[in-house]
Amino acid sequence: MSGNAYDIDVWGLVVAMAMVAVAAGVSEIMRMGIGRSLLWSACRALLQLCAMGFVVGFVIRADNPWFVFATIGVMLLAAVQIVLSRAKGVPKGLAGPVLLSLTITMLLMIALVTELVVRPHPWYAPQLVVPLTGMLLGNTVSALAVGLSRFYESMDERRDEIDTLLALGATAWEAARPSIVSSIRLGLLPTMATLASCGIVTIPGMMAGQVIAGGDPVEAGKYQFVVFAAIAALTLVADSLIMAMTYRTCFTADDQFRPRDMRGVR
Amino acid sequence: MQNNPPVFTAEQVSCTVPSPDGDRIVFSGLAFAIARGEIVDLVGPSGSGKSSLLTAFARLNPHATGTFMLEGRTADGFTPQRWRREVAYLPQKPILPGNTVAEAIRLPFTLAVRADAPTAAAGADGDGRQGRFGRGLSRFFRSDGAHARELLPNGRIRGTLDAMGCDDIDLERHPHDLSGGQAARISLARTLLTEPKVLLADEVDAGLDDENADRVASIMAYAAGRGMAIVRIRHRPPDGRASRIVTLEGGALTETMAEAADGKGAGR
Repeated sequence: MSGNAYDIDVWGLVVAMAMVAVAAGVSEIMRMGIGRSLLWSACRALLQLCAMGFVVGFVIRADNPWFVFATIGVMLLAAVQIVLSRAKGVPKGLAGPVLLSLTITMLLMIALVTELVVRPHPWYAPQLVVPLTGMLLGNTVSALAVGLSRFYESMDERRDEIDTLLALGATAWEAARPSIVSSIRLGLLPTMATLASCGIVTIPGMMAGQVIAGGDPVEAGKYQFVVFAAIAALTLVADSLIMAMTYRTCFTADDQFRPRDMRGVR
Repeated sequence: MQNNPPVFTAEQVSCTVPSPDGDRIVFSGLAFAIARGEIVDLVGPSGSGKSSLLTAFARLNPHATGTFMLEGRTADGFTPQRWRREVAYLPQKPILPGNTVAEAIRLPFTLAVRADAPTAAAGADGDGRQGRFGRGLSRFFRSDGAHARELLPNGRIRGTLDAMGCDDIDLERHPHDLSGGQAARISLARTLLTEPKVLLADEVDAGLDDENADRVASIMAYAAGRGMAIVRIRHRPPDGRASRIVTLEGGALTETMAEAADGKGAGR
């Protein structure tokens, strides 16, 4: 596989690894206590990226829609696992809603960006669909984890206010609404910051990749915009879906507030 | 007063709280009834479950069960929201969200359960400004302040507050700037303005000085005079406004007539 204008050889990887090792060494000397996990994460990242490279390479060569969807399926399951492990203070049993909201968002992404905007041949073009899904999932996973953590935290903070609202006749939705809004806003914050700063402060990863690989920078910019716009919109969709599906876990069937110890927090 | 048919009855009220070493029964099999315009004081040692009993009446307590009736209709016939509109629990801590006192008082009228209440400015161009669909959609995500202002205009709030002896409170003030006594009175006024049939007041006068406690008590006496049934949790000595005093202790309710304990009689 040598699509890049300038390939990276084994020594390149060694240099990169050495840089991490030096940084880890310095952090150990300064007793920051993160050297070990930094090294470990770097090794994991190298392995995972190489594995991903081989898998995507295989899927592209095989040119079979079933392989494409199998890859996406595995990515989705891994994404669910990461959301649930990163979100703090969430009750058990959220795997289903998280999987559903990620799947719907991903299908929307494929339908709109791939089939409406890019229109590749064949329609399942693996070199397009798999990286797009990866970028979308990367964003929605952190948005969902942040959003869910914030939602349950906010509901517990607002406990007295929620009790007051319910006593005044509010529905579960009306009582939860401020927490839902603030958690969606927090989940979207990094996405909006990226949108605002890209092109001035940063050259986003996808555009940078295309430019390094010798692509036309303006074409790369257009591609990047479409992907960013879709990711921003779909992250909002994913966050709204997960909130709509899970806010009721804070309430009983009779619209009573269910405090943290009754929710079966993991 | 005992001959009046009760407006609210509760039977077989039980509350079981889960704890690390097995479930703890706070009370079980309690019965209670209150008539229109009656004030009943609920007393008892702390931890005896007085608040749990009142939140059970308002169907707000996830640990409690019981059979409740309002004007002869069982609670099952109401949605939780409609039930709580008529059987209103007033928490001890005054929570007043919003930027002004007026906004805090209008909060109940931004809720869907009161969207069908008759507006004060009858027949205004309510739905003309914005399509029904648009209003429905935006209601979904933020409360409808404009509609709440139609239901409860500033003039009506002012009038009610003045009648309740709250003429010292400016409607445009930030709720954070209110004193403890003022916040307690505003919180009470907010619930009274929703005109519930039963008011369950959870130690609203706790932490207030005698003057403010007396003001709160006379506001409630005024509401009871207009037909509201009121249950008050109190730790203060009897103030002569209640017709009965009910004691919750060791999981059992016992009742004493207030007139015997206090010479002043029902102060209305």
